[in-house]
Amino acid sequence: MDDSQPTLILDHVTKSFGEFTAVSDLSLQVRPGRVFGLIGPNGAGKTTTIRMIVNITVPDSGTIELFGQGMNTALQDRIGYLPEERGLYKRMKVGEQLRFFAELKDLRGAEANKRIDAWLEKLELSAWKEKRTKELSKGMQQKVQFITAVIHDPDLVILDEPFSGLDPVNVDLMKQTILEQRAAGKTIILSTHQMEIAEKLCDDVCMINKSRKVLDGKLREIRRSFSRNAVALQFEGGDGLLNDPALVANTRQNGEDIEALLVPGANPQTLLKRLVESGVDVSKFELVEPSLHDIFIEKVKETA
Amino acid sequence: MKKFLAVVKREYIQRVRTKFFVVATILGPVMMAAFTVVPALMFTIKAGGPTRLAIIDQTGKLYERVAKDLVSGKDRRGRSEAPEPQMQPPVGPDASKEQINQAGKMIKGSFVVEEARLDKRSLDEVKNDLEARIQSRNLDGYVLLPSDLLKNGQPEFRARNTADPFTRDTVESAISRAVRGQRLVDAGIKEEAVEKASQPVDLKTIEAGGKESKGEASFFFVFGLGLLIYMSVLLYGQLVLGAVIEEKETRIAEILFSSIRSFPLMMGKLVGVSLVALTQMGIWAAAFLIISAWVAGGSSITLPHIPPIVFVYFSLYFLMGYFIYSTVYAVVGSMVTTTQEGGQLAMPVVLMLIAGFFLSFNIIRSPNSSLAFWASMFPFFAPITMLVRIVTETPPLWQILLSLGIGAATIVGLVWVASRIYRVGMLMTGKKATIPEVWRWVRQA
Repeated sequence: MDDSQPTLILDHVTKSFGEFTAVSDLSLQVRPGRVFGLIGPNGAGKTTTIRMIVNITVPDSGTIELFGQGMNTALQDRIGYLPEERGLYKRMKVGEQLRFFAELKDLRGAEANKRIDAWLEKLELSAWKEKRTKELSKGMQQKVQFITAVIHDPDLVILDEPFSGLDPVNVDLMKQTILEQRAAGKTIILSTHQMEIAEKLCDDVCMINKSRKVLDGKLREIRRSFSRNAVALQFEGGDGLLNDPALVANTRQNGEDIEALLVPGANPQTLLKRLVESGVDVSKFELVEPSLHDIFIEKVKETA
Repeated sequence: MKKFLAVVKREYIQRVRTKFFVVATILGPVMMAAFTVVPALMFTIKAGGPTRLAIIDQTGKLYERVAKDLVSGKDRRGRSEAPEPQMQPPVGPDASKEQINQAGKMIKGSFVVEEARLDKRSLDEVKNDLEARIQSRNLDGYVLLPSDLLKNGQPEFRARNTADPFTRDTVESAISRAVRGQRLVDAGIKEEAVEKASQPVDLKTIEAGGKESKGEASFFFVFGLGLLIYMSVLLYGQLVLGAVIEEKETRIAEILFSSIRSFPLMMGKLVGVSLVALTQMGIWAAAFLIISAWVAGGSSITLPHIPPIVFVYFSLYFLMGYFIYSTVYAVVGSMVTTTQEGGQLAMPVVLMLIAGFFLSFNIIRSPNSSLAFWASMFPFFAPITMLVRIVTETPPLWQILLSLGIGAATIVGLVWVASRIYRVGMLMTGKKATIPEVWRWVRQA
């Protein structure tokens, strides 16, 4: 994977609007066939970065290379884009709307109609094809918008906050669809401020905060490097078992769980053994991987 | 190019299919008819009766002349169609037979005149008598021609409605003519000679080429074009404005810009909306021709004598004028966030069209002056000023082609500017741009 040519390369890209710097010296690589998470809080510069990738704006300095070429308008047809701020023609019928956006991506004729029907079927919208867009619920419009991003079978799909406004059933449907796209060899850039979602879907991540990159890399490696040797516990009785400074550095209550941060170098198995031997009823014993949220907070504190 | 056509198609079909378009297309001619037929109808209602005048002739010579003049309506040559706006009770159920007869007569002359003789009564008695008749609405007014009128006396006009300037003018000039005629006869000139001498002339206009021309018709032709451009810009400029602002309000622009460059997008919008306008105007024109042919009852409509090539220029300059001013709306639309703001901003530019009108008054007198040349090259004036020159004293072909070329370049240039402002403005979400900002956007986009 690592030695294949990246789909997208950003090299020291900077973009400012007047006094305000939206993206500052950002470099990143997106590899083919993977889900790449662009994560960070609102206003971090995610949307501006994406706008440069889809050639809506041009960087002030630095270069963007897509599919091995410098950015140009012909490449736009190979990108599918779901913007954060959704927009559909309210008065157009769903089918016509999809047809128009397909034509804008140079897809027309019978092939376009076939794909529109297939996608509507897949996202359970077939019954709405002849309805005006404004008659649809917000979640349905969201799905229509998603179809406009993938109808022309692009090699790179960019999804900006794809889950906002969706109910849990549709979130699952959307997740499943994204994973199918990846399985079909597409490269996906997922921009979100919801870290839990990124955690579940992304192969690689790039965290940005206040226009700058905080860290990037494979998600699994990042989490491993931030591992803190912590255990989440649930057990009945046996108070004071955790009060062993040689093993447990400190504890905190986290909902139902007790989270025990072990002394560096201590083996979690030792703790488990001690719990079982003392006869308490252990209902949960889990090694805690740090969440992206925690990593993000830690990195931001570090760089501040 | 295919993407451009996709935009054109969408703009066109989405608009033509709306109920609004269908209703407006049908109501348009109905409104037009209403505006022409209803006033005509109202005039006929008003013309319930002629103006009834009594004349006290103390000179004893003038009554015949004045009465003849008023009744024949000779004075109102040119506007004899327009009935006198004298307020009269309409012919109703209580109208006497006489009034109905008079109403029939007034179609030719709108005055009914009687002589009020003194017959041994004093002048004041007669006046009081007439006054009473005016009060009882038996009479609309009377004229007193004093005995010294033929020397330097002043006639008097007493009427219920002295504010009506048309009647006043008509009476005044009738008396003037009568006095002039009588003075000539008194000076020993024969009656027939006087009549002959007062025949007005009818100026016949001949173009330098030798053929008879209808100068007036040409002028109204150009005036008509100006009006047509003005109306269509006012009617459809808002549509262009709306089309450009639509994506801003719905935030579709972001997807569009990720798929198509802003110039073909803007051009596609302009062309799509304009086709809607042309479709609607085409339907109206067809309806107008059919209806007028039907009204004319088979007799062909007499068009003013205008060579066919002028119709070609007419179409070209109409399109040029329409597109130039519509593009102004596109530029404005790219700067603002709501249609209301846009309408206000576009107005000053549209007023340039009016300036073109004023210039054409000067140009029609000297169509080959350098003012005429430059005014007909300036694209915002050219649709009117160049056409004035074409129908008066046709300039060399290269000048016509040059002005059309400048016009086309202006349109493309304005669309280009609009598309740049649009593209950058879209990214600066939801705020109205200031002029310096707009200028920066044009350069940086």
